[in-house]
Amino acid sequence: MREMEQIIILPYRKVLQIAWQGMRIRLLKTFLVTSCIALALAFLTFIMCSNGMVEQLGERASEQLQQRLAREGLLEQLLSTEQRSQTAWMLGIALMISFAGIVNAMLISVTERFREIGTMKCLGGLDSFIVKLYLAESLFQGTVGTTIGIVVGVVLAYVEGLNRFGSEAFQLLPIVTLVQILVISFVAGVVLTVLGALYPAWSAAKMEPVDAMRSEV
Amino acid sequence: MAKKKKKKKVSPVKNQVAEHVEQVPLEHEPSVADDAISEQEKIAEEEAEDLLATNIVRAKDVHKIFKMGDEEVHALKGVDFKVNRGEYVALMGPSGSGKSTLFNMIGGLDKPNAGRVFIDEVDIAALSTFELAWLRCHKIGYIFQTFNLIPVATALDNVMLPMLFADVQQSEAQDKAVELLRKVGLGERVFHKPVQMSGGQQQRVAVARALANDPAIVLADEPTGNLDSVTGRQIIELLREINKTEGVTVISATHDYKMLTVCDRIAWLTDGAIERYASRDELEIKEGSTDGE
Ligand SMILES: Nc1ncnc2c1ncn2[C@@H]1O[C@H](COP(=O)(O)OP(=O)(O)O)[C@@H](O)[C@H]1O
Ligand SMILES: [Mg+2]
Repeated sequence: MREMEQIIILPYRKVLQIAWQGMRIRLLKTFLVTSCIALALAFLTFIMCSNGMVEQLGERASEQLQQRLAREGLLEQLLSTEQRSQTAWMLGIALMISFAGIVNAMLISVTERFREIGTMKCLGGLDSFIVKLYLAESLFQGTVGTTIGIVVGVVLAYVEGLNRFGSEAFQLLPIVTLVQILVISFVAGVVLTVLGALYPAWSAAKMEPVDAMRSEV
Repeated sequence: MAKKKKKKKVSPVKNQVAEHVEQVPLEHEPSVADDAISEQEKIAEEEAEDLLATNIVRAKDVHKIFKMGDEEVHALKGVDFKVNRGEYVALMGPSGSGKSTLFNMIGGLDKPNAGRVFIDEVDIAALSTFELAWLRCHKIGYIFQTFNLIPVATALDNVMLPMLFADVQQSEAQDKAVELLRKVGLGERVFHKPVQMSGGQQQRVAVARALANDPAIVLADEPTGNLDSVTGRQIIELLREINKTEGVTVISATHDYKMLTVCDRIAWLTDGAIERYASRDELEIKEGSTDGE
């Protein structure tokens, strides 16, 4: 009996190179998916930041600002229970949009490549290669999209804050809270993206090649 | 190139058989007899006939059942199928007779419910993930009815992909891919993407890709199914040429009678079992009388 050799496990460098090349030739798709992630994250971060500012009005806003807001009837409105429950709703919706939007975008972009995954397995691709490939792609898209989204969200929140509270908007949000928001958003964005990609990629990778190639999406 | 090799202990009897079979010069380490014979080999040794067989592809009593809800489709009902090295075998049968299913079993792309498939007298069910991937990468070239090229990649990148999995150096892989594309008549279309090519051209890319790692076997499942008869004919003749010049074993599933003119032998598959074999000569007599249908 002739002995069977074993396939090489491709080094990470090579996997990254392939992932990068793949994203470049799918430029439009990559861009769309990344924008989708960015949009979801921008919304989430915006809501969290502007909620944070409003919550701090009572404690951190100056006498002057409080008086002005009270005069305009805004203070009462902003701190009312209805407003608070509405804020909670908004946050919930933002979270849901992020979750559904990102997971959905990743799910679709990976499942439409099931056939390709099956083909790669036919040509000698290992399951682990496929998982690594999609891990690299989704990490990249997740990081870039999330970062852009967070920046946009924070900027928009401060623009809105400046509009409503003037230059004091910059003092309203304690730095700790801001950092918290940034970290939570970043982790949520990247984790959701990676999981959204890895789950379908992993299920395709562990299929028999024919089954992966047969699945039409 | 640091290829990892799994050292298998091989019994002397089997080794002799292998030596005898050996025609294609491939890296091969003859190993000595060892007391510690692995479980799989024990099973293999129980079947003496397996040791004497010298086929490059051998399917033994292969069954495949597809379950769809409560319904079961018995797609393969105990197929016995042997192919000699260097042969061009056409797997003939009506649509739904199980050609693709058998193709997938032989190619290690799906697992049978019962029975065994040997490639070069190695039971593919006994292979590790890494060995199976190596087999798909180096030993077998696949050609599909639907071409199955990577849609966003150029012809060149498509042909280079299997070489990438084989860890061939980038520049070397590129040279070889260009050479292969030239050989299949696509020297001018190296940088074209599948959408920019006709069906026939795409299938040529697929042929070039199948040959990338110098496989011993090329498996083609209805390679002409999506092509017009002239283009289909060209693909078939290309396969025959490769079979003749490189000594590659070709197994081609088809329900197209026009494909039969180039093959050495025909296996007729009906309702999930091999009904009979026919040689080329027999076919020609038949064709002469029935005018080839
Ligand atoms: N994935 C599958 N699920 C269920 N039934 C299948 C599947 N693949 C093939 N079959 C059935 O198995 C039989 C053989 O199919 P196939 O091998 O594709 O035939 P052929 O290639 O000769 O046309 C058919 O009855 C087909 O419906
Ligand atoms: Mg078929």
